[in-house]
Amino acid sequence: MTDWNAGSDEEFRAEARRFFENEFPAEFKFLPRRMRWSECRGWYLKLSQKGWIAPNWPREYGGMGLSPSKLLIYFEETERAGVGRMPDQGITMVGPTLIRFGNDAQRAHYLPKIIAGDATWCQGYSEPNAGSDLASLRTEAVPEGNDYVINGSKIWTSMAHDATNIYVLARTDKQAKKKQEGISFFLVDMKTPGITLRTIRNIAGHEEFCQVFFDNVRTPKENLVGELHQGWTIAKGLLGFERLNIGSPRRPLQALEKLESLAQARGLLADPAFVERFTRLKLDLADLGSLYGRYVDKARRGEAMGPDVSMLKVWSMDTYQRLSELLMDAAGEYGAVEGEIAYGDTNIDVLSPFYNSRPGTIYGGSNEIQRNILAKYVLNLPS
Amino acid sequence: MTIDEDNTHSAMLAQSVGDYVQRGSDLPRVRALAQTRAEFDRSQWRQLAELGWLGVLVPESCGGLGLGLGEAAIVAEGLGRALTPEPYTAVAVLAARVLEHAAATTLREELLTGLVAGDRIPVLAWQEQADDFAGQQIAATATPFEGGYRVSGQKKFVIGASAADGYLVTAQAADGLQLLWVPRDAQGCSTGLQPLADGRSYGEITFKDVTVSREQVLASGGAARAALDRALDHAAAAASAELVGVMKRANEMSLEYMKTRVQFGKAIGSFQALQHRAVDLYIQQELADAVLREVIGQLDDALPDRERALAVSRARSRCADAALAITRAAIQFHGAIGFTEDCDVGLYVKRAMTVSAWLGNARAHRARYARLSAQPQHKEAA
Repeated sequence: MTDWNAGSDEEFRAEARRFFENEFPAEFKFLPRRMRWSECRGWYLKLSQKGWIAPNWPREYGGMGLSPSKLLIYFEETERAGVGRMPDQGITMVGPTLIRFGNDAQRAHYLPKIIAGDATWCQGYSEPNAGSDLASLRTEAVPEGNDYVINGSKIWTSMAHDATNIYVLARTDKQAKKKQEGISFFLVDMKTPGITLRTIRNIAGHEEFCQVFFDNVRTPKENLVGELHQGWTIAKGLLGFERLNIGSPRRPLQALEKLESLAQARGLLADPAFVERFTRLKLDLADLGSLYGRYVDKARRGEAMGPDVSMLKVWSMDTYQRLSELLMDAAGEYGAVEGEIAYGDTNIDVLSPFYNSRPGTIYGGSNEIQRNILAKYVLNLPS
Repeated sequence: MTIDEDNTHSAMLAQSVGDYVQRGSDLPRVRALAQTRAEFDRSQWRQLAELGWLGVLVPESCGGLGLGLGEAAIVAEGLGRALTPEPYTAVAVLAARVLEHAAATTLREELLTGLVAGDRIPVLAWQEQADDFAGQQIAATATPFEGGYRVSGQKKFVIGASAADGYLVTAQAADGLQLLWVPRDAQGCSTGLQPLADGRSYGEITFKDVTVSREQVLASGGAARAALDRALDHAAAAASAELVGVMKRANEMSLEYMKTRVQFGKAIGSFQALQHRAVDLYIQQELADAVLREVIGQLDDALPDRERALAVSRARSRCADAALAITRAAIQFHGAIGFTEDCDVGLYVKRAMTVSAWLGNARAHRARYARLSAQPQHKEAA
């Protein structure tokens, strides 16, 4: 297996640039929404064949095991080439979670399917009455024979309509003293009878998230991850990986790419007032990269993310929103126009970063919740 | 030097810097020095010399430790945390780096050896106008005279001038830039001091037909420019490390206070409005720390000029803004007591102000970053 860390950063960048620019399908470049599975399956398989589908996984599980600097290059080059976001829950969440908390049988069964593109995952966490207060979730799982039977509903489940599998937090002990106790972590096949879903249209008019209903859904006992009733630990571990993923510079880089093109096309780089704002944001993002590198190193050493990883999520999504807002401002009157606007030979969708960056400060634990976590567990402030 | 030896040096240095910071609340001394405007204590300077810290960057051939900027940053951060007013960065980083790349003369060796021992205190006098932190606009002149030069002009913003025994001066000659040594007591050289907020001062050095012999020429032309640019960037990075020390201690003080100060029957640190503000400032601290480490690591592997300047301006911009934001917020977190002279918070605010303003403030470094990143790379070679 190729050791992608062996060469220099420059060589790796050149290869990534060539590959993403030449191989990513032109019709999906800079898509203003997330790609559907039917659109991106071919690209997913191409990445998989090259061994590039899981840049963050250790090599022994089919990942690239990239160093922080090369992982950043990987992200920079995907965004530079306008590679869209695929259903990536398997790569960013399930893989790292099973590697850390799963058993050998679960790893052997599920990880190769993610690498091969045979399984795509979605996240069964939030419920209609359990958003920021996730531990108050009410979906329950009851043992029956060789199965657990799940009843309840999950919401804001991104790309559930394209997923083959879902991971679910469910209450298994209603008598537990604390609400964080008595929760378990399950893997469920989306084709299981009793699962239905409805899509929810978002503010940008796209159908990216869903509500998933569980009506006597049976999942075999071997699909319990970790110990029974101990799912909160895994849930938090997974949230650590989620915050690392959301906290990567990848999404804000997308907005910066657009902002840079727009600024160039409109000659704004000659305006000192614009340049000062632009440079600040550019540095906010570059500095995020430095902080992110620390956590990538930690993840590569196989360590769990501590509560301090919340810093990445807060800063990354704040920066993403601020970039998207400067982009609108930089467009002047066009900052209110839907769809792509032609600037010479570049087309820029000014509003998509605005829409795409809104949920970032809400999902994965809102930025306010992240600040509560940091205040309590990192700064040790009293409650 | 092997990696292991390298790490041992860092670890030992970190240990002795940690001891220094622990041992002393240096604050009563700092406060006394600030009130009397005596920013330099010779016995303290000797102690820094004995610890080996003044020679961290100086080659072993001149009595130094010959270590890298990473080690100098450990010392600078510790001194920042302790609010030590003595001009470590100005002398042991800025002047030492300039001298390291000066021509191999007896004078160079004498100054470097003396610097390490704490006997000689050379400081760089390179800047004439606000914001020109790279010292590009030089009106000072060096006119050929009997085998040497006569130097005239004025230099500003010279940290360490009150203690210096001489200046490394930049001046323009017909045959290019000259870097010259002028003893403080040279005829025609006068040192004025401009008071700073934290009790230290900027030197304003005036040179009026000061005679400089050929032996006092340290570097000329392109070599002088290269030595200067590199030294100024390295010093800006070390000053950023000082700022990281200042901001970390100020943040600790705010957090300690928020845990103990009770209002409305609760510790004020339990209020969400204050918690979220404290978290945002902590994020700034960690960004500053992460950027600084990354940049220092890059500077130790010789970077091309453009990349070095970009990296330093990035670190400088973040560290200065974060130090100012954190120390200003410390006043607010402490309430009215934070606005009193007796409260130590004020010492941190003022040190953050002076170290941020020197060697190019955040705005000036962002402007340089914008200028350089707009330039296509291939044009830089010239």
